[in-house]
This record gives sequence, C-alpha cells and structure tokens, in this order.
Amino acid sequence: MNRNPKEQPNSTFIPSKHFETVKVFEEKSDCDIWNAFNKGDEMAFNYLYRTYVQELYQFGSQYSRDSSLVKDSIQNLFIYLRKKRGDLKEVTNIKGYLFRSIQREIIKNIKANTSIEGFEESFLDSHFQIVVSPEVSFIKSESETERKIQLQRGLSQLTTKQRKAILLFYEEELSYKEIAEIMNFSEVKTARKLIYRALASLKEFIKPTSY
Amino acid sequence: MSNYTDHKKYEDYEFEDFLSDEFFVQWVKSPSENTLHFWEKWLISNPQKREMVTEAASFVRSIQYKENFEFTDEAYIQVFENILKADLEVPSHNTIPSKMDTWYSFFSVRRAAAILLIGFSCWALYETQNFSDSEKASIEWITKVNEAGKKTVLHLNDGTVIHLNSNSKISYPKTFTESSRVISMEGEAFFDVKKEGRPFIVEVKDAKVEVLGTSFNVNSAVEGKLEVALVSGKVKVNDKLGNQVMLAPMEMIVLEDNGKIHKQDFDVRSVTGWKDKYLVFSDDDFDTVVQKIETWYGVDIHTAGKFNAQWAYTGQYYDESLENVLEGIAQTSKIQYKIKGKEVEITH
Repeated sequence: MNRNPKEQPNSTFIPSKHFETVKVFEEKSDCDIWNAFNKGDEMAFNYLYRTYVQELYQFGSQYSRDSSLVKDSIQNLFIYLRKKRGDLKEVTNIKGYLFRSIQREIIKNIKANTSIEGFEESFLDSHFQIVVSPEVSFIKSESETERKIQLQRGLSQLTTKQRKAILLFYEEELSYKEIAEIMNFSEVKTARKLIYRALASLKEFIKPTSY
Repeated sequence: MSNYTDHKKYEDYEFEDFLSDEFFVQWVKSPSENTLHFWEKWLISNPQKREMVTEAASFVRSIQYKENFEFTDEAYIQVFENILKADLEVPSHNTIPSKMDTWYSFFSVRRAAAILLIGFSCWALYETQNFSDSEKASIEWITKVNEAGKKTVLHLNDGTVIHLNSNSKISYPKTFTESSRVISMEGEAFFDVKKEGRPFIVEVKDAKVEVLGTSFNVNSAVEGKLEVALVSGKVKVNDKLGNQVMLAPMEMIVLEDNGKIHKQDFDVRSVTGWKDKYLVFSDDDFDTVVQKIETWYGVDIHTAGKFNAQWAYTGQYYDESLENVLEGIAQTSKIQYKIKGKEVEITH
C-alpha cells in the first residue's frame, strides 16, 4: 500500500524522478542502454562515458605508454559513436564492444605514429603484465609469501596472449565469448582453451599440495 | 584433469575447473543475487569442497594488472568536453531539424557536462587491515556527538567536508598524520573527501573504509549491518574473510554482522538526502517512520491503535516542521497526532 502524498497539493513532495539520473541505466540491460544511446539519449551517453572511460584507459594503456595517444583514441571512439547515432548496430555486451573498438583504434594510431612495419600485439611482451595482488591472502598456505612468489613466477612464464586472456577473464570479468571477439578468434572455444592451458601451466604454482 | 569440458558436474570439479568457470568467476568478482544463491547453497551441500573453492576464489581475486593507469580528473573533463565540442562542429545537414537534433543543442550539452562533473573516477578501498595503535595514541582527538534532532557539518583542515547525522558520533585527530587521514564514527555520516596523496580511512564497527577522494555515505545506524553507498567513483571492498567486491558508481554495499555481503542499487535522495535537509520516506513501514521522525526531530513518539503490516508511507519533506510532516502523513494515512513539547502521540 504505497500512499503517495503527491495528490495532496499542500504537501512538500518532490518527485524522485529528478534525482534518479544515472541509476536509471544501472538497472537496464546493455541492449537497452545501447538503444537509448543510439536514439540520442544524452544521459545514456553520460552513463557510457563515466562507466567505461577508466576501464578503456587502463586497457588501452596496455598497448601504448603514450598517454595522449590513448586519450585521443578514446576521444575519437566516442566522437565516432556519437556521430553514428541512429545507425549503430545492436550491441549486447557494451564493455566487450568498446574494448574491441578501442583496441582497433589504438593499434591503428600506433601504426600511424611509428615506423614499425607490421605492428603485431604479440610483439609486445612487456604488455598485459600481471601482478599477484598483495591484498589477497591464500588461507591454506604455510608460507604465504612463498606461495605468492611462486604464483608470480608462474605468471611470468605465460605468453602475452595468455596473460591478456587471463586479465580479460579475471580482472575485466569478460566472458569467453567477449574474449574470443576481442582476440579475433573465430570460435569461442579457442578462448576457453587458451585460458585452460594457461591454468594448466600454472597448476604447479597455484595448487596447494594437498589436492 | 587432462582435457577441459563443459559437462562436468560442479561436485566433480577440481581446482582448475572452478578457475575456468564463468559462473564461478562472476560469483567471486561481482556476486549477484543469482550467483550468491547458487554458490552459498552449493557450499552448504558440498562442505568437502569449501577449501578448494576458497583457494580458487583467492586466485581469481589475486590477478590484477601490474600497472595501474589512472584516467585523471583533468583528462576526464578534457576528453569529455572535446567529445561534446566535436558535436557542434558537425556541418549542419540540409534537412529539416529533427527531434534528435535538439538533443545536441547548446543547453542540453551543457547540462550533460554539469551532471558529469560529479562523476570523477575515484578509487575507494575498503579493507580490514589494522593500523598501529601506537600511532593513534599520540594524537589529540576531537569528538563530536549529535543527539537526536541535531545535524552538523564539519570542515576538516584537509578540505574534507563531513555531514554528521542525528544520533551519530565522530572522532578525528586535531591534525592528521603525514601518512594517512584516519577518523572513526558511529551512526551515519556523509563524506565529501578532499582528494590528495594520503588515504582517508573511516573506521566504523569492525570495518575500515579507505578512499582517496570521493563522496559516499556510511550508515551503521541500522542494527546488524553496515551500509556504504558510493555517489561517484569506484569501490573495492575486502571483508575480514578475504571476500572482495567491486562497486560501480551508484551502488551500495551492505555488510551484515553475520559476514554476509551484498550489493544493491540505491536512490540518492533516500540515502543521502538527509544531509541536504530532506526527510525521505520510501515505502517505509510504521516502525521505520516513527524511528525516522524520532531521530530527525529528537522527540519521543507514543503510539496507540492497530497498524497492520500493509501500512506503508512514501513521501519527501524539505526542511519541514514536525507538525507539517505529521500533517502530511495524516492526510494520506489516516493517523491522528498530538504534539506536546518533545512528546508526540500518534493514533490510528
């Protein structure tokens, strides 16, 4: 029984709609948010920008240490998307779509700025580096520090591709489907295999001895 | 464990199987009602796997980028402005202005920018690490206590602004140390933290909320739980069990005293309106309404008559007198009231 004092002209009720700006989008599916953006809804654009810009910057910086190149790429991507409003394709996973797009944009800009012929992301061994978080504790270990050093050692043996997939899966919380699309695999199971094999090679480092 | 498979049952899962399971990762990183419900039930019926699950969860949480690249506030505004500016440079088409074109009008663009200014990407850390008591002991502490009916705004010397609600208490050092800004509180407070090098740490109940600069509401006044609501930025929550949850902007985390954690949306006005003199009722039952009025105005309320469980009240009042609030409720909710000084009688 929700009694609304709005019907009473004397009461000082203020419609709560005015305060629920961004919250409106939090509850919506990616599809709906994208459609709203495509229709020109400025709040949808605000939501996209504030939700993803930091993540795009972190991800994009894996390709280039040139912060202005990464910033420009993000800027160009959003300008492009805004200009295409009305004609944008349906998107079901916004983060995956934006990651794919920013990756393409940044690689394009790196190629334009450098003399390196045939820039390939696999060249970039220094990129997508992983560190074992010092904040997380492994309960079972007798020597926690030793355990983390071991895991760190294991991680450093992974290929750039494997590290990228691991970061996208755990840190960025993307699905195998999204990872496959970002990494240009034609099949989802290729992403699944890539991560599974990385885990298998980490097994001796991450498995406590009892199992 | 020689090849991966989708068909294995969870009870047969090994360490690597958990680690490569999307549903498992979702539960560890961003628990939802769905994943929590499933995995909590699953752990109860598979206690022998609990240790393995905990270890696998620790692994998932321990993976992070080696280097953090922070999109600064300056970049945030600059890029945003450049994106909007590009709109205005679009050569106008020779078509009749459509509804959509009005979206790009100067004023709507400006309004969008103003709303975004509060959305700076900030970083807040909520953790359970301990700070040395010796450091604390040598500092001179100032304590402010608000009785029911009283609210205060505190301006700390680092530029941080704290709104302290009624029935709440806050202690802070006369001057902060060089390494950190630590305060402790009970009840409810809203923080607008000045961003600087030193972390800002709020000790509340047996938990700690650490931020670098952001605005958020902490409410420990509700029995049995602690609520941290973030107005802007990003929050990482670590509880004493090692659980870690990421909070998106406009999300609230609820830590129950029994160790349960869940995230939920919140309405900014309902949660933080108190600091701007808004008394908000949102589908509140009778007991909640009574408790809110008692705290807000510092009065004692006596009730008579029957209030069924269906009774609920929704309404917002801005800087209103006790009498007007009671009148507003009376008009829609069939209550009668009498005010005698600090005593209020409500009958139904």
